[in-house]
Order: sequence, then structure tokens, then C-alpha cells
Amino acid sequence: MKFLSREALQTWLDRLANEATLIAPRLVDGILLYRSVSSARDIVLDYTRPKMSAKEVVLPSSEPILLVEKRGQDVNLSEPPTGEQVVFGLRPCDAHGIAVLDAVFVAQEPVDLNYARRRNATTLVGLSCPQMWEDCFCTSMGGMPNDPSHVDVLLTEVENGYAVTTVTDKGRTLVAELSLQEMEYEPPESVLNEAELVLTQEHWPDRFADQYWDLLAERCLECRMCAYLCPVCRCFDVRDQVVQQGISYSKYDRLRCWDSCTGANYRMVAGGHNPRATKGQRLRNRFFCKFHYFPVEYGLSGCVGCGRCIEACPVNIDIVEVLRDMSRASNAPQTSKVSPNAETGITA
Amino acid sequence: MTEFALQDQIRARAKELLASEQVQCVIGYEHGSRGQIRPVFIHQSTDTDRLVWDQGCTHNLVTYLRDKKGAFGSGEHPQRVAIIVKPCDSRALNVLLAEKQIEREHLYVIGVVCAGIVEGAGYAGQSSDKLQARCLRCNDRVPVIYDLLVGEPTQAETEDDYIDLAELEAMSPAERAAFWLKQYERCILCYACRQVCPGCYCSICMFERDDSLWVGIAAGTKEKEAFHLGRAYHLAARCIGCNECERVCPMELPLSLLNRKLAKEVQALFHYRAGDKPSQSPLATMLAEGEEFPA
Repeated sequence: MKFLSREALQTWLDRLANEATLIAPRLVDGILLYRSVSSARDIVLDYTRPKMSAKEVVLPSSEPILLVEKRGQDVNLSEPPTGEQVVFGLRPCDAHGIAVLDAVFVAQEPVDLNYARRRNATTLVGLSCPQMWEDCFCTSMGGMPNDPSHVDVLLTEVENGYAVTTVTDKGRTLVAELSLQEMEYEPPESVLNEAELVLTQEHWPDRFADQYWDLLAERCLECRMCAYLCPVCRCFDVRDQVVQQGISYSKYDRLRCWDSCTGANYRMVAGGHNPRATKGQRLRNRFFCKFHYFPVEYGLSGCVGCGRCIEACPVNIDIVEVLRDMSRASNAPQTSKVSPNAETGITA
Repeated sequence: MTEFALQDQIRARAKELLASEQVQCVIGYEHGSRGQIRPVFIHQSTDTDRLVWDQGCTHNLVTYLRDKKGAFGSGEHPQRVAIIVKPCDSRALNVLLAEKQIEREHLYVIGVVCAGIVEGAGYAGQSSDKLQARCLRCNDRVPVIYDLLVGEPTQAETEDDYIDLAELEAMSPAERAAFWLKQYERCILCYACRQVCPGCYCSICMFERDDSLWVGIAAGTKEKEAFHLGRAYHLAARCIGCNECERVCPMELPLSLLNRKLAKEVQALFHYRAGDKPSQSPLATMLAEGEEFPA
């Protein structure tokens, strides 16, 4: 393995912070978040996972996707600028989340230009989890706490430093200037949680009309916390906003902002009709999207098993409990049937 | 009386109420996953053994009554519901009754004598033996409204000195603004504070209108400030201090400081405490002695 000492890491991170926007786990008023740092000193290296996922670096909670300026009869359209950014200390599940977002925004035409611009300017440096933490279930979602698949470079803590695995060309370019020592030993494997979940994706359509969802949703508060903390949830709303309006000069922003299927007005359409009018229908969408619509549409799980929503939900809506209920229900006689095709088209 | 005895009493009454069809649903607490306590909705008299009561029952269940009153304009009848309330939660019932949001005859209130709720309640692995700060300064042991009282009424001799506000009150307006803007910046606009609040029952929140009448959809500090300050003002003389907003906030915004500052001012100016009395009208529509509503 290639070895980077602790001291060399600090020097490298300081240099990265000077050359690009460096985003890393940092304490903000006592809460760990992926945020830009000005020096290696600000970076927290010993952590479970930041409170929010890293999706903000490629899909900000709100961003102008079009800026319109009107001067007299001239209309100018411009796009917001994006600079180079390096994300350090990314957990493998969060990198997995970005890979899922890539499938939606850039893998197929039409490419989402804003997302693509940010994504191309982003280099991901992962940091392996030494163990799966409480609430973690990444191994059930096709991940591993030391999975290098979705990062450009992966660091794994070893004695006095880090094992460095370069994964992509982008990663090779990033570490090219580092003098890495060749060591004879390999980094230790991460400690895994025991319980593996059995996923029964094909049975989900049979559960569409179950009363289960209405009953589960009774305690749902319809906040959007689960979706906003999630590395994969990517729904957004777009609205035009007046910044300045005058006779000779006007300015408008077209804003894109996060949205969530748990929110009451999520599927409201013109005229006030809402095809997902009840809490149960919307909460069902959350789970169907992750475990049925998304896998069917993209061949990937819509959940990476980071466990953030489990930890944060104030009323204990537990995604693992839902998965267990679903696999139990798939073995039980069906109480109701619907045509699966009626719904598979409705993805976020 | 032990917690188990209280729990048995709650279960027994819930069973009677459901079996006799006096209510269609009992809103209470149950053991959830990972050792957490969570809200539960019991519809069958055979399920009442799921109900629990202990010092981890932190959620203010009154917020769920807005789902039981029948969708606005749908013609649905409100459900007859039994609900378990702590003294703080019970004051939220009075607020909703005074604001004509719920009807007393549709409600069966199981009031529980409360000695305080522990810190970390409602989250896995975080529960401690220490009482929540709001409970340490709370003087109320008995709910202000109930049909069945569970537990032996006790007395508490605590004085709320609002010491938690001292630091902010000592700041200059500019310092205070800087403090709050720094807090708001962290907010992710998940609206959990609003959703969990029994006092926030508007079907369309003014801060989320499709026409952006008051605030746009951007997640900027300006928008967040408008939302939090607006919400605080809308809750002035209505917030009963259950502190659910602060508990649920994933970004740990100290929202109690906003709500309690307003509660303190309202108490000093009008000698009014939200939800204390059953027939109390909202402060905004109360008349002083000698005043009359215009004809």
C-alpha cells in the first residue's frame, strides 16, 4: 500500500485549501458538516458522519440556474459561475450517494448543465470508516465502509498516517505531487455490523395499496428533514424571482431549491389538484422511490444506507424497520393488489 | 404510583374507550425501534397494550389533532379522539380550543401527572437520567384540562427565572442580530419546527406560498430569518413551551430562546400565559376592563 504520514496530509490539505475550494468535515456551532475550510486545522478527522450528506457540493439547497438581466430592449442570459472544489473526508456512503445523483443528472441525456458543471469541477477524496456506526446499513445497500468505488482517491487510517488508494485519473492528478511511501502491509478491514437486510424489490408493487402506509404516516410530521439529510434525495422546485425591477433595468433569478415528497404541497399542480394529497401517499412515495421506482428506472438502489434519516427523525420513522416490514409482508398473503405499471412511471 | 401502574391505567381506559366506540383513535406513546419512544395511534381495543408511559414520553401529541379534524372543505367529520397529555401539552389543548381549532366534545383527554421528561428522549441511545432544562424550570405537575387524571397530583416549587435569556438580553441589538443570523444561516428549512408545533396549523404557511408573496423559495439567510422571526411572532402568547421545535431541529437552533423571550414579555406586559385557562381567548382579541368590541 501507499502511505501518507499525518504531517504530510496536513501539508497537503493546507495546499489544497489554497489552490481550490476545499470542503471537509468541520464543526459549525458544534455540528459537524461538510463545509469549506481555509486550513487543515479546521478539519475534523475523527468522526462518524457529518449531520448532512455531501450532496450540497453538487446540488446546493438553493441555487440560481439562470440569471436574467434586461437593459432597455437587450436581454442578457447568463449562468452562475462555478470554481474547482475538492471534497476531503467524504464517507464512502456519501460518495455512493453522489454516484446515484450522477445517474440521474449526467449519465443520460439531457445532461443537467448546472449539476454537470459542478460535478466536473469536483474531486472526491474519501476517508474510510473504520467501522459501521450505529444506524449504518451500507453493506445492505451495496456499499462498504471502505468502498473505493465512487471516490477519486480513498484514504484509510493506519498507524501514524493513511493508506492512499488512487481510483481515477482525476485522483492520480490530485496526488501526483505527493511523495507516497510504499509499505509492505495492507490497511485493516473495517468492522461491519452484523445484520444484513434482505431486499425484496419485486414485491413492492403488491404493497402499493396497503393500509400500512397510511398507518405509518399517522406519526409522520411531514417535515422534510429525512429528504434534506439524505445523500440521494434530489427533488427540487424551480421558481423565477424578481431581484430588481425598473424601467431601464431589471434582474431576475431562476432558482432551483430542494423539495421533498413528504411536504404537503409536493405534488400540487396548477388548479390545486394534488395526486399525492395524503400523508400516507407521500410517505409511501419516499420508500417506493428508493426501493422500487429508482431501482427499476436506473438499476441502482435509491438508498445508500448511511442511516442519517434514522438518527434524525424526531418521530422514529425508521427506514430499516420499513424494509423489514416490507420483506415480512412479501411472505404474507396479499391483502390488496394494484397494477404495478400504473405507478412505476411516477419517479421523482 | 409507579410508571407501570400509570401505564396500566392508561391502557385500561384506552381499551374501554375504543371498545365502547366512544373514540375512534387513542393517540399515545409506544416503544419504537432502537429503544426509542414514539407516538402511536391505536384504533383497536385489542392493541392497547402497545401504549406506554415513562419519562421518555417527550412528544407533544396535541400537534396530531390537526390531522383528525377532517380536511378543510372536505366535509369529513372530525374524529373522536382520546389523547395523552402532559401538563405542558394540555395547555396547547386550551390554545387550540380558544382558537376554535378543536371541539371539546370530540376529545377525551387522558392527563398524566408529570415529574419531568429526560434529556435525549425520543432519540436512540441518547436518553439520560437528567431532566430536560424546560422540565427543571417547570412548575406544572397536573394538566390544566383532562377527563381522566393519571397519577397522584404533586406540588412543585420552582420559579422560572428566565436565566437562559440573560446572555442574549445583555447583548446590544447589533450583537443580538449577529447571534441570530449566525443561527439562521445553519437552518436547512426542513420546517420540522413548524410541523411539530401544535400552534402551527395553517393549511398553507405564509412562508411557503406558491406566489412567493412574503418570501421566495431560496434557502438564503434572509428567507430563513423571515421564517423564524415570523413564526416566533405568530406564536407570541400562543407558545406553551413544550420546546418540541428545538428538540426536533436537526441543526440544533436554540429556538426556545426566541419563544421564551416573547413569552416573558407577554407575561410581564399582560400577565398572560398561553393556555392556562380553558376559556381563555387569544391574547390578540382580549379586551381590557371597560373596553368593548365595536358594534
